[in-house]
Amino acid sequence: MSAVLVALVAVPLVAAIVSWWAGPRLADVVTVAGGACTLGLCLALVPTVATGGHGRSVSAFAGWLRVDPLSMVFLIATAFLYAITAVFAVGYAAADRSVTVTYKRRLFAGLNLFAWAMAMAPCVDNLGLLWVAIEVTTVVSALLVAIEGTDAAIEAAWKYILLASLGLGVSLLATAVIYHAGSYTLGQAYDLSYSKLLAHSARLPAGTVRLAYLLAVLGFGTKVGLFPVHTWLPDAHSEAPTPVSALLSGSLLATSFYAILRYYQVAQRSGAGGFARDVLAGFGVATLLLGTLYLASQRDLKRLLAYSSIEHMGILAIGVSFASPLAIAGALLHVLAHAAAKGTSFFGAGSVVRKLRTKDLERIRGAAGTLPWSGPMLVAGMLGLSGMPPFGTFRSELSIVAGGLSGGAGANTAEEAIAVALVVLATLGFLGLSWHLTQSLLSPTPSGSVAKGETSWLIVLAMSLGLLGLLILGVHPPSQLSDLLRGAAAELGGPR
Amino acid sequence: MLPSLVASVPTPPSIFAGATEALAVLVLFTVFAMLREALLRSQVKLYALQSLAVCALAAVLGASQHARDLYALAVLSFVLKVVLVPAIVLHLLGEAEVDLAGSHRFGVATMVLAGIVVSGFGFVALGNVHLGLAGSGGLPVAVLGVAMATVLVSFVLAMFRSDVVSQAVGFFSMENGVSVASLVFAARMPLILEVSFLFDLLVAALAFGVIMRAHHRRAASLSTETLDQLRG
Amino acid sequence: MQLPVQAVQALQVLVVLVAAPFVSGAIAHIEARIQGRRGPRVLQPYYDIAKLFSKETLLPQDASWFFLAAPVIAFTSFLVVPMLIPVLTDFPLPLGYMGDIMGGGLVLALGGFSLALAAVGTGDPYAQLGSSRAMTFGALIEPSVLFVVFAVALITTTDLPYAMAAVDRSSLAQAIRPAHLFAAVAFFLVVLSDTGRIPVETHVSTLELGMIDEARGFEHSGPAFALLKWGAAVKQLVLYVILVDVFSAPWGLAGSRRLGPVLLAIPILLGKALGAGALFALIDNSFSKLRLYKITEFMASAFALSAVAVLVLYLGSG
Repeated sequence: MSAVLVALVAVPLVAAIVSWWAGPRLADVVTVAGGACTLGLCLALVPTVATGGHGRSVSAFAGWLRVDPLSMVFLIATAFLYAITAVFAVGYAAADRSVTVTYKRRLFAGLNLFAWAMAMAPCVDNLGLLWVAIEVTTVVSALLVAIEGTDAAIEAAWKYILLASLGLGVSLLATAVIYHAGSYTLGQAYDLSYSKLLAHSARLPAGTVRLAYLLAVLGFGTKVGLFPVHTWLPDAHSEAPTPVSALLSGSLLATSFYAILRYYQVAQRSGAGGFARDVLAGFGVATLLLGTLYLASQRDLKRLLAYSSIEHMGILAIGVSFASPLAIAGALLHVLAHAAAKGTSFFGAGSVVRKLRTKDLERIRGAAGTLPWSGPMLVAGMLGLSGMPPFGTFRSELSIVAGGLSGGAGANTAEEAIAVALVVLATLGFLGLSWHLTQSLLSPTPSGSVAKGETSWLIVLAMSLGLLGLLILGVHPPSQLSDLLRGAAAELGGPR
Repeated sequence: MLPSLVASVPTPPSIFAGATEALAVLVLFTVFAMLREALLRSQVKLYALQSLAVCALAAVLGASQHARDLYALAVLSFVLKVVLVPAIVLHLLGEAEVDLAGSHRFGVATMVLAGIVVSGFGFVALGNVHLGLAGSGGLPVAVLGVAMATVLVSFVLAMFRSDVVSQAVGFFSMENGVSVASLVFAARMPLILEVSFLFDLLVAALAFGVIMRAHHRRAASLSTETLDQLRG
Repeated sequence: MQLPVQAVQALQVLVVLVAAPFVSGAIAHIEARIQGRRGPRVLQPYYDIAKLFSKETLLPQDASWFFLAAPVIAFTSFLVVPMLIPVLTDFPLPLGYMGDIMGGGLVLALGGFSLALAAVGTGDPYAQLGSSRAMTFGALIEPSVLFVVFAVALITTTDLPYAMAAVDRSSLAQAIRPAHLFAAVAFFLVVLSDTGRIPVETHVSTLELGMIDEARGFEHSGPAFALLKWGAAVKQLVLYVILVDVFSAPWGLAGSRRLGPVLLAIPILLGKALGAGALFALIDNSFSKLRLYKITEFMASAFALSAVAVLVLYLGSG
């Protein structure tokens, strides 16, 4: 199994190198193969990791790489999105005549490198290397955002790299503080392996851990898009090329949240769990509120989806802040479901933009009619984003709200109030999204405009795969996946 | 009367503590100088000076702890942060004929005053934190307040200046502040981790430089005044 | 042979009085040498003052009695300060307890204030320009002076300049402690500003665009003008003495009232003052004058230094 793990982190890197040096046709094939391979390897690991009540872990390279159930969840999200985005990217680039060879080479190599960095982050058993991995994702994704070269793209890329790097600087401080906390029990010079840290975390000084956790939430929260350091997110996600936007929204935000979760785990076990949950709840509610309020007033299709991502990150934070295992399992399922739904929606948006040549929601009319396959699938994807049954997001959001209302180990009025607020705000979000849905997608097709038909069948394929994943998660998640989620939730639940 | 007065004066810090604190405050002062500086090459040179002070801190700590790790770290930091990063940034901006790094949004004196207020906050916030650092093998605790002040004033620099070079240099000097803080907290972190942090910074500097150059090519200026199209 | 205490006290004032023009002339000579000229003779200021004493006094029509009194007030107040600071001895003399650093600063300010007031009363546009600028920039440099005083007080738990010097001499750790270093540099910048040197003001000529202190004395003539120039030299030497004997190099002061050490202290003091003066001359020739509106940046930097000195003491370890 450790060989599988090593192959998992090696494949995207190899794909990146090959797609840079090879020609454009080979780059297409290599990227799709890399994506499929990574997903396959990832799913091959699931049975091993998901066994037992708390799950097991697989390690390689003398413990530098390690996956346990929690990291497995995020790894699956990344791998799945990587695979379908690769398919989409091939179709997306093929549908546009004006794409140059240089652009294609940069795009594909960049996509592979980006996926590699995002796959590395959950696999390293070291808080310092985790920071390095997330910094690498920032750098690669910032360059990818700027790839279009327009004024708006450069503005978005500059804001993104500046704000994200400043935030990651704060989280580097958090890494130093938690190293200091660990040095009380683990000695002056130890590596920041968090498996060791977790084993000893009952004896860590609570005040120092609290400080580290707060700095980590502020720092990594910049990359997750938590309020008030979210300002780069709408710009970056809307100006990037669509495959990059899908990866950014679907898995980069989640991977950065994974980093916060590791710090949360340490805080939880060293006795600062209540404080940690309060911090997450505060940020979560503010983020959800902000995302929902801005949804209705958007004019740009991709910006709309970006604000929806902000909303969902708020939901994730709220989910983890509820103490019950049901809510935490729901939040982790939400990571997977959001990845699938966001991917599908961005693919649909890309298809619409390719066909109608505009991102402006005021000018898009009757897209569902013009695009016979991707149009309705986009509608389905956006309904998935609103948490409609039978999609996976409905199951996850229901679990979160149920966990908040039932109160786990002792009912809590604050949690109940937050759960109610979540339902209200999610409904508001649904209203905002459906407003734009009906206006732009479901309205009658204006006559004499663009001819009906898809731009590329690969885009349709990618969207159907995404929707399929979303439906499976909603209707009947495989039992091993449920075991995995339970194991991960148990890890995070832990002794108070 | 005087001898009794001198005898009752509170003891000064040891020479090691005093020297390290003076070096740390030098790091802080370079950020203040960056607040004033208008020429972009001077900004980058100030960053090189600041990194040199950080390397000196690591070397002094290594000397007092007899730790070869810290010497190696000092040498590596020197190569990467004093030589390579400024060289990369200046090379990527080589085609910018405009030497002025851009206008100040507020006057220099206002920014320096804001920097002083923010430094005071940084000192108060972390200077008195009892993190049990005595004898932890790192720099003395008083340096922590200075490091926090450096980080906060770098934020002021990045927020109040309206040109890409100052904002990028603000980020780099914030990293220097965090490095000083990590010399207090985590001085004996394994070298491999510190090396990976440094290389990461190098890669980030490359990315910053590439985007700065792209911006300069499109807008023919280094100002961020034009970067306000995306709103809402 | 032990000198009586009053003799030593008077000697301190006399040394400053007599040596001030010498120090001015020496600095002008050094500066000329740096610039590659032969320069005026070192004793030139004495001849200038003597010449001025023999000239007649002219008054503007609207000047009041204060116009004639101001140079005398300023001169006297500048001469009071040497009684309060360590000039020749490292132990405080009886009149040395009259005032602390803060008191010394206030008395110096009184002298400057009276000159400015007199200048305003003349109705001359240049004099009024100079006095308004001097008052403004003087007010802006005050916070730095105050914070330097606070730093000294926090280190030594008292305001007495003698105590600061004694603490500095007591150990190396005290001498190089960060707060002391930063306070010394901040005070250096204060002296730059108070003696009218680059980058605040150019003292070699009168530029309407930038002159501050030079313009205050425009309307004076004759003996009053001589007192003005002498007073300016005395103020400069007093500030140098504070910089050198309190902050940076408090060595070479007489430890007792015996004649030998006291007399030895005089050339040592002049040597140190000339050293400081040479440093100022070097700065003069290396930098350019700041635009008037940018002088606030200079003041802000001096304030930043002194504020950090206090913060480091108060909230750090020193």
